Amino acid sequence: MAVDRLVSLAEAAQTVHDGQTLALGGMTLYRRPVAFVRALLRRPDRPVGLTLLNFTAGYESDLLVGAGCIARTRTCYFGLEAFGLAPMFTEAATRGQVAVIEETEASLAMGIRAALSAVGFMPSRAWIGTDLPRLRPDVKTIIDPYSGEELMAFPAIPCDVAVIHALVADRQGNARLNRNLAIDCELAYLAGTVIVTAEEVVDRLTEDVDIAAPLTTMVAHAPRGAWPTSCHPLYPVAGGELLRYIDACASGEFDRYVQDFLKE
Amino acid sequence: MPAGNDYTVDEIMAVCIARRLSDEATVAQGIATPLVAAGYLLAKLMHAPNLRFASAIGQGICQDWAPLGLARTEALWLDKALTTVGFITVAADLLPRLHPIEYLRPAQIDAQGNFNNLAIGEDYWHPRMRLPGSGGIPDVSVVYNDMHLYVPRHSRAVFVARVDVVSGLGHSPARRRGRGPVYLLSDLGQFDWVDGRLRLFACHPGVTVERVVAKTGCELLIASDLAETPPPTAEELRLLREEIDPLGLRKLETLGGAARKALLREILAQEGAL
Repeated sequence: MAVDRLVSLAEAAQTVHDGQTLALGGMTLYRRPVAFVRALLRRPDRPVGLTLLNFTAGYESDLLVGAGCIARTRTCYFGLEAFGLAPMFTEAATRGQVAVIEETEASLAMGIRAALSAVGFMPSRAWIGTDLPRLRPDVKTIIDPYSGEELMAFPAIPCDVAVIHALVADRQGNARLNRNLAIDCELAYLAGTVIVTAEEVVDRLTEDVDIAAPLTTMVAHAPRGAWPTSCHPLYPVAGGELLRYIDACASGEFDRYVQDFLKE
Repeated sequence: MPAGNDYTVDEIMAVCIARRLSDEATVAQGIATPLVAAGYLLAKLMHAPNLRFASAIGQGICQDWAPLGLARTEALWLDKALTTVGFITVAADLLPRLHPIEYLRPAQIDAQGNFNNLAIGEDYWHPRMRLPGSGGIPDVSVVYNDMHLYVPRHSRAVFVARVDVVSGLGHSPARRRGRGPVYLLSDLGQFDWVDGRLRLFACHPGVTVERVVAKTGCELLIASDLAETPPPTAEELRLLREEIDPLGLRKLETLGGAARKALLREILAQEGAL
């Protein structure tokens, strides 16, 4: 009999512990695990001191920063695209209340490839000449032993828990995403615990699976679980809700917004 | 702000972007840059049918197109994609291999073409304002030979004597590969670099050199044969307004404050996503 990995969102949210690195799948406003964030914020003992790992971070991550769960952000972009700045991140990072680990597309890509290859770093031509090496003194350079060229040695990026929202998953943990893959397939290999939330849970998927069952730790049913971010082709970005969020934060009403958000 | 009688500044900017692109070029589309997308699509419909787009959203390559959307932008970049490869492959393999033409938008830029999208303020560790981040700019700007920049709202806050942080590399002595930006488009005119120094080579119609200089806070050379940007043609305007961008997303980049928010609501209402 196949392993049944189906749990509730509340059970899945219990896997995140203080100080861990939490990765959220999707990108900025697209297929973000918002229902999981809601479950995390419903915990009476909300986790604190988390390092938040995203390729690009948006609404779902801004909620966690505003709620005080995040100590460090690790992304190459934190914002709401055409809708504007991510209000809670912008304020917290400007005031130094959250530490920014400055990343770029290449440092994330190479750092994740290093971790997946079980080596300490990956070399790259990125960054050299810019101020990025000064902003990341922990990132060292290395001399290419063949050409003698100095390269950035992007360190392997660790990850404890990754949460990925799927169009459909089966109870064993096979999951189908859409074509806006971001870094989800790599996150499934990178993280120690992989949580798939899904619009629909079925007994058995047999084709077009993006994340295969052996990589998945838990599956949770989360209909409209990416809203107000999109889950193409099922629903678009709920732009009006993003504007309501921005307006609430601008008038100092983040806490009230979250209270309403947790009731849904 | 109308740049003339019958077109707006976003439209002459989209036209400038389109006219520089050749057929068979590969262009890249970053995050929240609809004005650039409008220019790319205009090139495709006017003179570059074989233009291909690499896009941040969807992380793929498209050759077909669809009208621009805000809440429904994935209907273009996902549904029309030839292939989607994910962001790791885009950053590590696709961009370094293809060197697509991409229009990058600085928050600050200096006369050398160094630019900043990380934080405003002299002390990075205690900024006046944190910005969203640099995306892939520190990765591609150090190796590209054909870097393009655009500034939809030209001001002394953007064009500064010295950028607070260098996340995009210009014509700097620190450069090892590639070269600094070759072209910059703003709402006032068109610029290039001569011996690593920023130069105005064309003003948009109705814009004076004095106005450009007054709004530029860094050293600026003026071309001896200063030109005027040819205005959009009737067909370019028709394609932009009726085919490519009937919702008007391209205007979001040139507006600020209440006007921008009103346009966002208008676009979302038309998309059924308000």
